[in-house]
Amino acid sequence: MRLRLAIARIEELATIAIELSLSLIVGFGLSLIILTLFNYPALECISTMLTAGFTDINYLLNRATPLVATGIAFAIPMLAGLFNIGSEGQLYIGTLTALVIAWFTANPVLALLGGVGAGAGVGAFIGFLKAYRDVNEVVTSIMVNWILYYFTIFTLTYYLFDPAIPHQSVPVPPSARLSVINLGIGSVGIAFVIVTLSAIAAHVILYRSALGYAIRVVGYSLKTAVYAGIDPRKIQLVAMTLGGAFAGLGGALYLQGYIHAVDVTMSAIFGLGFTGIGVALLGRANPLGIVLASIFVSGLAIGGQIMELQTGAPPEVADIILGLVITALAVPYAYRTIVAMVRIRMRLARL
Amino acid sequence: MIYILTTFINALNFMVPILLASIGEILTERSGIVNIGIEGILNLSAFTSAVAAFTTGNPFLGFVVGIATGALLGLVHGVLSTYLRGDQIIIGIGVNIVSYSIGVLGLIALWKQHGASPRIPSLPLISISEGLSISLLALVSPILAIAVWWFLTKTDIGLKIRACGEDPRAAEAMGIKVFRMQVMATVLGAMLSGVAGSYLVLGIVSQFVRGIAAGRGFIALANVAFSGWNPLIAILGAYIFGFLDALAISLQIAIGAIALAYPLRMIPYIGTLAIVSMFRWRARAPRYLGKPYIKE
Repeated sequence: MRLRLAIARIEELATIAIELSLSLIVGFGLSLIILTLFNYPALECISTMLTAGFTDINYLLNRATPLVATGIAFAIPMLAGLFNIGSEGQLYIGTLTALVIAWFTANPVLALLGGVGAGAGVGAFIGFLKAYRDVNEVVTSIMVNWILYYFTIFTLTYYLFDPAIPHQSVPVPPSARLSVINLGIGSVGIAFVIVTLSAIAAHVILYRSALGYAIRVVGYSLKTAVYAGIDPRKIQLVAMTLGGAFAGLGGALYLQGYIHAVDVTMSAIFGLGFTGIGVALLGRANPLGIVLASIFVSGLAIGGQIMELQTGAPPEVADIILGLVITALAVPYAYRTIVAMVRIRMRLARL
Repeated sequence: MIYILTTFINALNFMVPILLASIGEILTERSGIVNIGIEGILNLSAFTSAVAAFTTGNPFLGFVVGIATGALLGLVHGVLSTYLRGDQIIIGIGVNIVSYSIGVLGLIALWKQHGASPRIPSLPLISISEGLSISLLALVSPILAIAVWWFLTKTDIGLKIRACGEDPRAAEAMGIKVFRMQVMATVLGAMLSGVAGSYLVLGIVSQFVRGIAAGRGFIALANVAFSGWNPLIAILGAYIFGFLDALAISLQIAIGAIALAYPLRMIPYIGTLAIVSMFRWRARAPRYLGKPYIKE
């Protein structure tokens, strides 16, 4: 019996591995074609992206930190059956709030909590509209993203700019920054440690708590949830709030732990929420998988910047690959069919 | 006074992309398929039509290429959502990211620009008075909306499309090829979004700008729900949403304070948010909307 279970588990993991690798092959394969169409040295571009980003581990983990958070910000609502495309805006407001609080209080903890709270508030707003007013969360999320995009740029440009460097915001005061800690084998940013611990907490909440169980039941079927005595609306609201909190955490951690100031065009934080969607899907909506996926994806993003220096192809190539991988990951059934067909072939060959 | 009049007439021009994308999405959603990738279709068809019009100098050819781009993305979305049982929302998210990024890549690869392309030959406008003109599509798109309404409610094939969205099992039992019908509705809808995307370049802006759709695809999605999946009411909705766009621009010109440019740009999004959360036509979504139909 136990052996059977173990075999089933291995088979499941193998299927996941096949799905992920086929999606990655599709993503990279199609991007090779697109790059060739635009006259870039496609193979050189892709090989740089896959290798160059993984040399500086500390930088890699710094860049991965916000993606872990936005990945979880998408994953928790997804398990409840909701699509939190709003992590982009939640991250903006988390960053902005953390910056304001850090600037005025110079207190790292208050700034971090402020960022989390602001993100959670936006998440709760979207969740409330979905659960109690039946407004599609994808539409509200995008509207909120644009509103917060202009709000943040406006605030940075007119109220928080650094007089010495006008295209930049005021910096986070040194006392509110999150530095690095030495682990003996090497040093690692406190921000990455915090986000990893939060990922573990998310894992415990989702898979070891009553709330996580309720979230997953609601995601599985609203009817089942009602029969089980779960109020799906409340759970949807809670899941979106949690998602928003994580996105806000990502913004605050990235600001306090690494970038310390935001340029007024927000290029340092733009797109981190959307990339988190890819991270969540690559990590199979599992917080620990998301940590690994975000390291991989930020490696791609860094590789993309190095590729730009070498070949002139813009770093958005990394986004094209990620978008293609997301699309490819949406059709697990296709890969299962391929696997099943290969299996039947092999069995027939054995006969 | 003149500002007010300009705003109301300009709103007709801004209504066009939202209306075209909305009626396309209504057609698609009535068959049971949600395509949130219309934002991406707007971005990519804007880009391809810009390239075509720029290289050939012919804006009409640009339109053809833009529509073909929409059809291609619709075909991908349709096939992945039906035969391959993909998650429709996830596919849409992926398409949106890919399309946006291809536009950015193309700007840099073809024009060595990060923000906007050079001038693109655009369609002739109908001049109303000094500095005030409307696009031909402002008149054509409401007619298209009526045509889509007629197609969905009065024709045999429209009935079949709606049957797929309401109950695909029953439709299949009636002998309708559900997947084929859904793919067709998705391709047709995406072609209308392709027109909308081309119009952004060839009708309004006369150049391709990074992320030119600027959320209009999602505003169209909001309009679909607002309209209660009715193309006729979608005309009204699209005019309201287009008006918000035009209002933001008029206010920027009227007030002239640069500092207020960013807050004013929020108007269309705040307005959309307010409208979708407060008003709702008494209609329900197609019963099988967004749910994968799995054939036995």
